[in-house]
Amino acid sequence: MSARKQGDGQPEDGGATAGKRLKIAKFSEDPEKKGLSRRLKDAEISLPIVYGTIAFYLGRKASESQSHKWTVYVRGATNEDLSAVIKRVVFQLHPSFNNPTRVMEAPPFELSECGWGEFEIAISLFFHPDVCDKQLDLYHHLKLYPEDESGPQSTKKPVVVESYDEIVFPDPSEAFYARVQNNPAVIVPRMPAGFNISAPVAPENTSERERGDTKDHPLSQWFMNFSEADELLKLAAARQQVQAHIVKLRRQLSVMDGMPQLSKPAPAYE
Amino acid sequence: MDAKDILGLPKNQLPIPQEKKSRPPKEPQRKPDGISREVYALTGGLAPLMPSVDVSQLKRRPPSDEKVTWQWLPFTNSARKDDLQLFHWVRVVNGVPPTGDYAFAKYNKSANIIKYTDEEYEKYLTDPAWTKEETDQLFDLCERFDLRFIVIADRFPSSRTVEELKDRYYSVSRALLSARAPPADITGHPLVKPYNISQEVERKRALSMVLSQTKQQERKDTEVLAEAKRITESRMAAKGPEESELPAVANIGPDNSQRAITGDAVTPSTAMPSSAIAASSTLMADNASTLASLRMLRVYLRTYALDQMVQAASASAGLRTIKRVEQTLQELGVNLKPKVPTKAVCAEHLELRKEILTLLNLQKQLQYKEAEGTSFQDSPYSETPGTPKRAPRGDQDRPFMPDPLGFGGDRFGKRDQKRKAPGRTSEAAQSPSQSKRPRKMKASDI
Repeated sequence: MSARKQGDGQPEDGGATAGKRLKIAKFSEDPEKKGLSRRLKDAEISLPIVYGTIAFYLGRKASESQSHKWTVYVRGATNEDLSAVIKRVVFQLHPSFNNPTRVMEAPPFELSECGWGEFEIAISLFFHPDVCDKQLDLYHHLKLYPEDESGPQSTKKPVVVESYDEIVFPDPSEAFYARVQNNPAVIVPRMPAGFNISAPVAPENTSERERGDTKDHPLSQWFMNFSEADELLKLAAARQQVQAHIVKLRRQLSVMDGMPQLSKPAPAYE
Repeated sequence: MDAKDILGLPKNQLPIPQEKKSRPPKEPQRKPDGISREVYALTGGLAPLMPSVDVSQLKRRPPSDEKVTWQWLPFTNSARKDDLQLFHWVRVVNGVPPTGDYAFAKYNKSANIIKYTDEEYEKYLTDPAWTKEETDQLFDLCERFDLRFIVIADRFPSSRTVEELKDRYYSVSRALLSARAPPADITGHPLVKPYNISQEVERKRALSMVLSQTKQQERKDTEVLAEAKRITESRMAAKGPEESELPAVANIGPDNSQRAITGDAVTPSTAMPSSAIAASSTLMADNASTLASLRMLRVYLRTYALDQMVQAASASAGLRTIKRVEQTLQELGVNLKPKVPTKAVCAEHLELRKEILTLLNLQKQLQYKEAEGTSFQDSPYSETPGTPKRAPRGDQDRPFMPDPLGFGGDRFGKRDQKRKAPGRTSEAAQSPSQSKRPRKMKASDI
């Protein structure tokens, strides 16, 4: 089966990935790959995630080499289950750890360890085949010690560092779209009326698997709240200010242009 | 020799090396005659080697039983139509002159052109543009001049172009051939190849154009060709990694020709190895090209996307301007990198940055204008008499500070409505020293 590039008369090389290389209008002959090969142009599916670390001081139980217990995780921004999109997450720890490459195949995608040092953790996200065949790498600095170093560390209050980000899939396949169009963790674009793709027939039996969402996670009380409303408000206010200033300056400039005589004395300049 | 003792090597040497040893000491002692010692030493102290030449290879002398003389003899040339006799030197061996034709007669080849009878002409070869006379003349000239059409065209009584003559000749020959040998065994014949007169005319015209190109045109042509080559190469580069690594093909958009695709690995947090995105003059084009390059990635983080867009937007700005933008953002209370980078937030952030850039540009313009204006000014209107430079840098860096005045007090009225500056007077006289004391813009001022 060969796929053809739209707008290009050339046939593409064959191969396993040929089925994916299509723009929306053309179809490959193999019906199985159709879902993969048809892509939604000018639409993007985004997955808001939060990733970070929570570190507790062990207090009395602390030793030289294990002073803190920390957890690194990737969760949905609204604490929904991410497993529809993310297949597995690989955490790459400092080489001083045993088996520094930790692979999490199932949600919740997190890892807990004990240690004493701060280092950068590399988090690699691997997606399901119909989502994306490339991995995405994130980096997070593990913070164990609180900002203000006053007083002893509390074992009750952890050091929480979280980052919000959104994973964007610019050219999603139809199969992916169909699968996640009703998924609460995923932001799906509004398609024009009449655009209907049926969801796949066999939904997973959620009762058999463990819960993938983090709504009732033991650490959920420490999760940060990310509200875009605040930021939007601030940005809107800032823009207003800047725009007002621009208007003022423009007026000044036009006034200056309008009356050049004011500044020039009779003999101009040599 | 002591060393040899230590090593335990035998004192007696093998005969061959011994010979060698004995010989070289001899040579330098013997002073050769004829050459000075130094020159001889150049060769390494030995006689120079000469390639051995087989004596028999040297001058091959003819067998001594032959007697060779050279004689001045007449000869005839079979290639000539007349019986002219000329003379030349001939190598005579044992009294026998060489036989055979004149050696160069075999080179007198001529073209085979077909002859037609009048009947054949009537039957196959009539042509509205050609009279029988002309055709006959043509063929006669062809025979005489061996199908050298340039010459034939020159000699042809009525003026006909070379292409016309060629065309006539070839079509006549073809018609004759096909008439005489109807079956398809003439297809191999060279004359059957059709002569396309219009194409020939065109081709020659094009050639003459190329020949007569001026130097300027030549330069322009090479430039255009180089440009085209670059475009196709970038297209090939775009297609290359696309086809090999990125499975999906995004629709790039109108600026296709100027763009190269970014690298393959998707690691947005690290610096992506991106090929240069051709610089577009407008921000919109920048955005379009960044968007397109983002779409080439199969997946990316929104923060990364925002970074790229910000970079693209500030591509035309210098480092200092970028710093000022960031300063302004801080003054406005906005995070340099949004804490909650949703699509809407990122869009707003980008727009804000662009607006700040516009603002800074306007301020700069205003600055220049004022500098121009005040450099001519020596009137008492200025509130700071004798200070031509009115726009201290420190002041301009704070965009939300009152701008230094150019002239008149009417401006102050407007400004004061917006800003209540503690400790600042609202009269016309405002010294630069005062305006140098900046006041930070507070969010509560809104």
